[in-house]
Amino acid sequence: MAGSSYVPQKVYIEEASLEYPSTRQIIERLEGVPTEIIQNPQKIIQRLHDSQDWVAEGKRHLLLARQQGSFVKPCPCTPHYIGCNYYIINLVFNCPLDCTYCILQDYLSHPLITIFVNLEDLWKELDIFLQKREGAYLRIGTGELGDSLAVDHLTEHSKALIFYFRGKDKAFLELKTKTVEINNILKLQPADNVVISWSLNSFRIAKEEEKGAPGIETRIMAAKRVSEKGFKLGFHFDPLIRYSGWEMDYAEVIKLLLKTVDPLKIAWISLGSLRFPPSLKPLIKQRFPHTQIIYDELIKGKDGKYRYFKPLRLELYQKIVSLIKGCGGEEIPLYFCMESEEIWRKALNWSPKGKEDVEELLSPWSNQRNS
Amino acid sequence: MKKENLSPDEIYLKDERFRISYYFSLQRLMDSLRKIGLINPPLVTVRNGRFILVTGWKRVLACLQLSFASIPVEVSGVDDDLQNFLIAVHENLATREFSLIEKAEIIGKLKTLGVKKNEVIRNYLPLLDIPANSSFYELYLSLAGFEPELKEVIHKKDIPLSVLQIFSELKPEAQKLVLPILLPLGQNKQKEILEDLLEISRRENIGVENILQNEEILSIQGLEKLSPLQKADNIRSFLRKRRYPSFSRWKESFDSSLKKMRWPKEIALKHTPFFEDEDMSVTFSFKNKKEYEENVEKLKQMASKKEFSKLFR
Repeated sequence: MAGSSYVPQKVYIEEASLEYPSTRQIIERLEGVPTEIIQNPQKIIQRLHDSQDWVAEGKRHLLLARQQGSFVKPCPCTPHYIGCNYYIINLVFNCPLDCTYCILQDYLSHPLITIFVNLEDLWKELDIFLQKREGAYLRIGTGELGDSLAVDHLTEHSKALIFYFRGKDKAFLELKTKTVEINNILKLQPADNVVISWSLNSFRIAKEEEKGAPGIETRIMAAKRVSEKGFKLGFHFDPLIRYSGWEMDYAEVIKLLLKTVDPLKIAWISLGSLRFPPSLKPLIKQRFPHTQIIYDELIKGKDGKYRYFKPLRLELYQKIVSLIKGCGGEEIPLYFCMESEEIWRKALNWSPKGKEDVEELLSPWSNQRNS
Repeated sequence: MKKENLSPDEIYLKDERFRISYYFSLQRLMDSLRKIGLINPPLVTVRNGRFILVTGWKRVLACLQLSFASIPVEVSGVDDDLQNFLIAVHENLATREFSLIEKAEIIGKLKTLGVKKNEVIRNYLPLLDIPANSSFYELYLSLAGFEPELKEVIHKKDIPLSVLQIFSELKPEAQKLVLPILLPLGQNKQKEILEDLLEISRRENIGVENILQNEEILSIQGLEKLSPLQKADNIRSFLRKRRYPSFSRWKESFDSSLKKMRWPKEIALKHTPFFEDEDMSVTFSFKNKKEYEENVEKLKQMASKKEFSKLFR
């Protein structure tokens, strides 16, 4: 879908989801796409199991369902590394893009792209959640178990979420994407507590390992448009991937980014290096037989996940940090995703004592930022 | 089904379309045949005017070795090859467990006999205690395609499926080169060697067989003073270094610093796996105050050496 919006081959609608307005709206926006009403998706999932590549097959099918558990959860982060006190809203599971390194290939119980339609329950849950946290600042986003905007042309979640969070000043909403589905956002007035974020990588990684995602230049241009509309921006260089020539390639992207987008409009940039659970490796080998990224010096970290040997990670981070700072991004808050205190200290000359310190760094109300 | 008596020579053994087992010893069966003769007649069928064997390979081969002039056989009237093959499978299944290579033979032959992949997965993999999915089907099929000598070694050395799963990713020429290296090792080290070989091959874009022709590997293999196990372990270390060059250099430098400092053997210094944490620990044991103080003194001496700070890069 690099240049076009996602359209599924078929839509499955759980019977219990039929009554929700969101279901009707999505179906209307998918006029001509076959639909089937089902009791539950187990049979469909079983059928997908028989396919050669069930992950790819799942992406071709959309499931409209009710979220029966909690929509809002703390970001699971990873054990033994420093988290950032982030919360996630699970409105969509899975993603039409097909990135080699994507954890969702292994993480989710089934590969159907699933949109939860009971938004009425989400608003109630969020009311209670925010009420309980009254007085505390919060960063929350939808881009963990799916791309925040990849199906926004069908769901218009961005509109609804920005409408909900506007004025709730202690909560900071982040919509994180690799796509350029920004039409809905461009129709809205910006809100001070909303950040639209893009995951970025080198041109080569984006081309070779982020199947279906728009190119880096296109993403940066979309970010520019959103920024010109008045929204704050975030960027995630994650996963940073080493290969012969990575330094020059990342420098190219960082230069382009900070030349195109005003650094003062950037709320934060996160850095994370390639990491994945051992169970994902055979799946990557099978689904992406030509990829080289899993054959670098990846060791098992304290959390049991594969990650680069520490000196290699440090080299990667120090270089990227110096590039960002050297290209006019000295004031942009930088943070690491799932890294150790040592990495923070050695790459940023500062280390948080825990996730609360990271949250403090990233809060728009932060003393650290304003000092 | 009718009974007949045949000379074992009359059975055309070159037609192996129903054969499942290849690698077995006939000794115990021959002892039994000598004492009590052939009690259970083998099953044959007729193709192109010749008797071919459906079940009873061991029995017929043993009778041939014992030069029996005539043996009783049952002649199957079933024309369909698949039906005959299933008779062979079920007869064996009722009395014993199939080895891994036998299961592979069965799956390979089911394919040859025209059984569709999905049907094999659904109906036959569970029968053979194999998880019913496509990847296991493909894996066993690739084992069935191994050369007979390779299958024999795998069968005799009882190489586990988890190792074969990786082994099957190698080309036949690489398989032949690597098998002798693997045999003296345990399962974990076998897997480690295979994974390292494949990953080096993919990263450096060279064939596994080329890696195995590396001068250092050849020289290790040529060292007569080393046992097969020592050779395999040395090759394993060589491959580890090539797979993880930065980590290996780091570890070597750490070990070399300890050596230069003459770190006392009675005090264990441990770093975290892959140096992922900065933390290190020392352990020593002592019986009394004097021993305790001696060890503490040794540690103080170590800390005063120039090399000590190199441990904390």
